[in-house]
Amino acid sequence: MSTIAHDHPAGLGDPHAHDDHAHHPTGITRWLTTTNHKDIGTMYLWFSFTMFLVGGTMAMVIRAELFQPGLQIVDPEFFNSMTTLHGLIMVFGAIMPAAVGFANWQIPLMIGAPDMAFARMNNWSFWLLPPAAMLLVISLFVPGGAASGGWTLYPPLTIQTGMGMDLTIFAIHILGASSIMGSINIITTILNLRAPGMTLMRMPLFCWTWLITAYLLIAVMPVLAGAVTMLLTDRHFGTTFFNAAGGGDPVLFQHVFWFFGHPEVYIIILPAFGIVSQIIPAFSRKPLFGYASMVYATAGIAILSFIVWAHHMFTTGMPTAGLLFFMYATMLIAVPTGVKVFNWLATMWRGSMTFEAPMLFAIGFLFLFTLGGFTGLILSVMPVDVQMQDTYYVVAHFHYVMVAGSLFAFFGGAYYWIPKWSGTMYNETLAKVHFWSSLISFNVAFFPMHFLGLAGMPRRIPDYAQQFADWNMVSSIGAFWFGASQLLFLHSMIQCARGNGSKAPARPWEGANTLEWTVPSPAPYHTFETPPHVH
Amino acid sequence: MSTNLPAGKPPGDRLRASNRRTAFVLLAIAATFFVGIIGSRFIGGQAAGIGVLGGAAVLFLVVAIGRNLCDKR
Repeated sequence: MSTIAHDHPAGLGDPHAHDDHAHHPTGITRWLTTTNHKDIGTMYLWFSFTMFLVGGTMAMVIRAELFQPGLQIVDPEFFNSMTTLHGLIMVFGAIMPAAVGFANWQIPLMIGAPDMAFARMNNWSFWLLPPAAMLLVISLFVPGGAASGGWTLYPPLTIQTGMGMDLTIFAIHILGASSIMGSINIITTILNLRAPGMTLMRMPLFCWTWLITAYLLIAVMPVLAGAVTMLLTDRHFGTTFFNAAGGGDPVLFQHVFWFFGHPEVYIIILPAFGIVSQIIPAFSRKPLFGYASMVYATAGIAILSFIVWAHHMFTTGMPTAGLLFFMYATMLIAVPTGVKVFNWLATMWRGSMTFEAPMLFAIGFLFLFTLGGFTGLILSVMPVDVQMQDTYYVVAHFHYVMVAGSLFAFFGGAYYWIPKWSGTMYNETLAKVHFWSSLISFNVAFFPMHFLGLAGMPRRIPDYAQQFADWNMVSSIGAFWFGASQLLFLHSMIQCARGNGSKAPARPWEGANTLEWTVPSPAPYHTFETPPHVH
Repeated sequence: MSTNLPAGKPPGDRLRASNRRTAFVLLAIAATFFVGIIGSRFIGGQAAGIGVLGGAAVLFLVVAIGRNLCDKR
């Protein structure tokens, strides 16, 4: 597919292999000052997995308290902090950085670029994250405790809480700046650094989904920054944006937040769509069905995501016309999403399929994300949502699309690309155990939440009525099992990073035909210094 | 988004100039959303929306006409 310039085969990130450069730092200085997209991608991925474990621990605290009715383990304020921080850490600290990690590793390799357009800014984008994460964790230990009003930070409650809220606002500003810088980098790289012959409509779909995601980030992260800035000024500088007594409106915050919040969930899922669009054709040994329609469907989803925000606000007293508009617009998003699901199925149809771990996760994604999408469609029906709002039905819905959706796709992508990143094949048996254990435990944890929501159990409560006890116990058992299963993944990745496993060839997957598989495994520290010509 | 590179400079410089232009445009979009969401509270949503769209149209015309004039010289 391409001609490849010289590349020095090297271990993962071995800076000494290319002796035609000046001496590169090693040790901690290397990681602090690196501008190499592979190193930065590696840091993003390890950071995101660490935050996934931190947020996951908080989830275990939540499920331990909810194992039985009554207040056994933590007090209600701490429980609320756990739910709030679990949401913030998982969204901003785990899922989004993981997606950026995949982007950093894969986009230059897939388009034949030597690195990202702004390599130094790339370093900054990553190193803003650990301080922001530390702010969120440290907020647990300040007077008044961490923010405890839910990850959505609604006023008037968040105007009144202690300094933990200020640390959270500061963290969100920093996380937003990191995302914006990363998005500028990704868009500029994709538009300006593609190899000759790599037209936009020949790019791997993962690059397309990230190009569109980056535009979404550019548009909506500043809106979140504006919203939390207004919260900050309401808290400390005498403004009344969200205070009715001063002429403001608490519901204004909800509008501004969800104008960010709904595109945010597509920011979370579109990179996962891109990963699945790489894995399914590779393991079906067939080209992706309907490439152009996949691009247009992704763009359609992104554009529509801007006009559906108030489906999170059906119970705030909007006029009927507004309720109807947002209901119909939300249902409309199911159309391009359905196009993508059918295209993935059509890709597999009459394909020569094998079911290694990446494909298992991709198929698991397909089935469970579709299930989550169906519950989203149910919630889009306004009269239904009025009953289901703030119940566990919503919790079930978004965990199906974000965990069984995004997270499973990221696991699949990690198994798919780890041979290229590390030069070592992962243990297939262990990976399959990880998949089946995660799949079953995830469903044990979250499927009962549909029943709980339909029965009327509210969200964000540390104690509940006796009639909800049985399914909560089942859900907690599934959650503990799911958490434990992720240690298998951690073990697999550490083994690959250490080189404990069989050596990976340049192209371990027979059906994989994108540009990254033309470089050796592990990928050399510098690749495509001379752009390949893509035929 | 255009990837036309200014002529008469080394390829690396031209690419860097193009990257900077792209980044500037994207930063402007981000800044518009940030300022717009807060500014709309003071001047009203309609005024802010019309102002942004009108400003973008004017800016586009200024840049397009300006580049055309520069090329003719």
